[in-house]
Amino acid sequence: MGVFELSLLLIVVMFAALALGLWIAFSLSLVALVALASKPAIPAAQVMATSLWSSSISWDLTALPMFIWMGEILFRSRLSENMFAGISPFVRRIPGRLAHVNVLGCAVFAAVSGSSAATTATVGKISLPELQKRGYDDRLAIGSLAGSGTLGLLIPPSIILIVYGAAVEESIARLFVAGVIPGLVLATLFMGYVALWALLNPSKMPPPDERTSWWHKLSAVRELLPVAMLILGVIGSIYGGIASPTEAAVVGVALSLVLARAQGALDWTRFKEGLMAATVTSCMIAFILAGADILTTAMGFTGLPRQLATWIGELGLSPMMLLAALTLLFIMLGCFLDGISMVVLTTAVIMPLVSAAGFDLVWFGIYLVIVVEMAQITPPVGFNLFVIQGLTGRDLFEIARATLPFFLLMAIMVIILAIFPDVALWLPRTMFAG
Amino acid sequence: MRRFLDALYRVAGWAAAIAIFMIFALVAIQVSARLLDVGLRLVGLQPLGIRVPSIAEICGFLLGAASFLALAHTLVTGGHIRVGVLVNRLGGGARHVVETLLGIAGAALSFYATVALARLTIRSWNFNDVSYGIVPVPLALPQGLMTVGLAVLTIALVDVTVQAWTRRVYIQSRTEA
Repeated sequence: MGVFELSLLLIVVMFAALALGLWIAFSLSLVALVALASKPAIPAAQVMATSLWSSSISWDLTALPMFIWMGEILFRSRLSENMFAGISPFVRRIPGRLAHVNVLGCAVFAAVSGSSAATTATVGKISLPELQKRGYDDRLAIGSLAGSGTLGLLIPPSIILIVYGAAVEESIARLFVAGVIPGLVLATLFMGYVALWALLNPSKMPPPDERTSWWHKLSAVRELLPVAMLILGVIGSIYGGIASPTEAAVVGVALSLVLARAQGALDWTRFKEGLMAATVTSCMIAFILAGADILTTAMGFTGLPRQLATWIGELGLSPMMLLAALTLLFIMLGCFLDGISMVVLTTAVIMPLVSAAGFDLVWFGIYLVIVVEMAQITPPVGFNLFVIQGLTGRDLFEIARATLPFFLLMAIMVIILAIFPDVALWLPRTMFAG
Repeated sequence: MRRFLDALYRVAGWAAAIAIFMIFALVAIQVSARLLDVGLRLVGLQPLGIRVPSIAEICGFLLGAASFLALAHTLVTGGHIRVGVLVNRLGGGARHVVETLLGIAGAALSFYATVALARLTIRSWNFNDVSYGIVPVPLALPQGLMTVGLAVLTIALVDVTVQAWTRRVYIQSRTEA
């Protein structure tokens, strides 16, 4: 079988399996087996077993269940109430007022949670009803929540960055640190848009609340203290080189357990629920990673990714044109695939191409996360949209329309990152170790 | 039979959760010991230098065991993701066929992987392969646990397929991670 026929066959099998609804991890292994079958000299079962084994036992990957568990504990705590009470006194004078709670709340929760769904759900379950009660515009409230929820992926800790780091064998600590500034820039863009919208549509804003006293603000800060300590403890210790991501995550889990217990939001039942939920989510992701590792190995044997890289290289595209093409491809894929599947497919098939084009792997990881964030809010498959649909009962496409401005802001963020790669790469250079 | 299967998935799932908790406990001991040493040094005392030996390897093995032992429980609680755009929209008859075929495909792939991993385990057992660290863990132990997890997953997939074919009961899998 020639290169062209084999590629075509693999693409057809992949899309047929995915589209029909075969579980992602099995779809990846199925394509891998088909690819291996094209090289009869290779013992497919042995390759599969070795991949399953070696990709599942890495120390770096142990950060995954710990960060997921930390998110599960905090999701079951009263953190979201605290955050609304803590942030709202500070944004009452900025144009857009309480709508900024969505952006800031998501940015803060993103710094203790690695998932955009958890971030959206945790912040939204308090902020959406509150904003609605006070007469804020629905589209602004929904759009800013759906957009900002995706910060959960970019601001460390980040499940997607752990998956990417494990798949391309890049330092997870460096990836985490690289995500900090792009996350803050993106949050600033979101806040700028909310303020601008409020200035342009004064008629759609509710009447202003009374001013808050300094005393009130001081007591609000106290509400934010526990989460601030969590962020400092987890991200600070990674940045400072004191702790590996797993160690930082374990400290985070311990502090979250103490915090939830102190709030009276942790009993034996909830503890078991949180642990089991973390085990299930971590199992699902680890299984996909194992399937992706079989695929990566199999693709290596076929030599297709290298040929693709050579072929694209011969087209003589500039890195910017290549990036534009990749972004379009990812946005299309993102309409149907979830973020983790997109990342593992990318690492299995186009990593040689990315290296050949001279992209820094840390930088590319951050770029990939932002594009995956965009995928989280594109219909018909976008998890943040599903979460908000669950919270509000609105139509999916209506929510997607409200979120469109934030989608465009993320596209601008991709351009900023492409023109100024140091937005991502400067902070990791200043790390003490790692 | 039904109760036995449900218990099987649940027990494997809880074994996985305990493995995850053990990772937490081991790393917590390690971090506490290090913090204690920092404190001791600050007040001018000799640090104890307690370390959990081979922690990276052992936690890796625990994670491998946890990820595979939880597979069946994750499957039946709908935790494994798939693209649901098409299958969730199919009508009665078409969905019946597709869900059954997906179950068969999943069970076949899972069985193939179980056999492959079982062979690897047996080879490690025969050659007495152990890990490189200070604590020599026989590799057959974590590999065996992972094989057991895959075997339970294969059983669960056969179960799911039979449920889909005979009773038209489908698991509602997650569609996003």
